Amino acid sequence: MQVTLKIFRYDPEKDKKPHYDAFKMEAEPTDRVLDLLEKAKGYQDGTISFRRSCAHGVCGSDAMRINGMNRLACKTLVQDLGVNKITVEPILGLPILKDLIVDMEPFFDNYRAVTPYFINDEPAPAKERLQSPEDRERFDDTTKCILCGACTTSCPSFWANDQYLGPSAIVNAHRFIFDSRDKGAAERLAVLNDLFGVYRCHTIFNCTLACPREIQITQAIGEVKKAIATGKLD
Amino acid sequence: MALKRNVGLLEGLKYRGGGPMLAWLLHRISGLGILVFVGLHILAAFLTQQFGSDAGIFINIIYESWAFQIFIFFCVLFHAINGLRIIILDLWPALLEYQREAIWLEWFVFIPIFGLAVFVIFSGSLGG
Ligand code: FES
Repeated sequence: MQVTLKIFRYDPEKDKKPHYDAFKMEAEPTDRVLDLLEKAKGYQDGTISFRRSCAHGVCGSDAMRINGMNRLACKTLVQDLGVNKITVEPILGLPILKDLIVDMEPFFDNYRAVTPYFINDEPAPAKERLQSPEDRERFDDTTKCILCGACTTSCPSFWANDQYLGPSAIVNAHRFIFDSRDKGAAERLAVLNDLFGVYRCHTIFNCTLACPREIQITQAIGEVKKAIATGKLD
Repeated sequence: MALKRNVGLLEGLKYRGGGPMLAWLLHRISGLGILVFVGLHILAAFLTQQFGSDAGIFINIIYESWAFQIFIFFCVLFHAINGLRIIILDLWPALLEYQREAIWLEWFVFIPIFGLAVFVIFSGSLGG
């Protein structure tokens, strides 16, 4: 089939304003949008810039707006879009460095703010810190995050203010808050109880719909909100 | 230089968030609608009672018109039902798994009640 790939273009050295370039090409319905981008870059215009690494939905580097919605280019098939005009644009709410590449630093600042690592100062047992399958199951969903930023940059609260920690940071806080072996819940909940913490979430669900790993993000945020309100982790 | 992060209103509205995002937008708009209605009401009463001015009567005529009545009923009913959905989901986060169904249910409740009200307002304005 013939498809037209419309790409958001911005070169900070030449352009004052962004514009769109259209590339016509042959594609299979089972091609991924990433394949089309590679084709356009390889055969038509070598200056097109975008991030990609694994090409298999693991590294999280190619989140972009595809036909108006955040997705991973490497996990989106042409046939899933159901149209042969495909528009790719950078994710919203982060400074655009070039074409589809955004500055992820504000996103990672928010990520770091929730101390997304294991905290437990008690001396470790000789072998390992044991955990029951049920306790492990409690936070299983939020371990799936690949930090692509599709959720955070789909959130109108984050668009309005990038100080809002955003869905992704809350998901990663949730992963440790509800881990029975971790002892840092109180300090993370304090960070999330802040003005720019969980209460900026207005349950708009864009994040849940955008997540390429199908994490129930709004539910995770809801659980954190409840933990803050009740002071209980259950 | 990098392009600023600002997300314009139009650009934000163009994001394809679907049903839940629409519900959130309508919640905001209906909230503003209620504010305008209550504001006009207070203003009209104030103008008529304090100054006996005709401006109050004029404002009364605006918000008693059938179009305004339908608009305001939409705002109040939608805001109430959507607010209820949000409260329920906030109190029982486990239900968030069924957020899609919750939105369907919301429209399922909203449409017949709103339809009935539009019918009553219309027949009232035409017949009486
Ligand atoms: S390129 Fe790694 S997630 Fe898409």
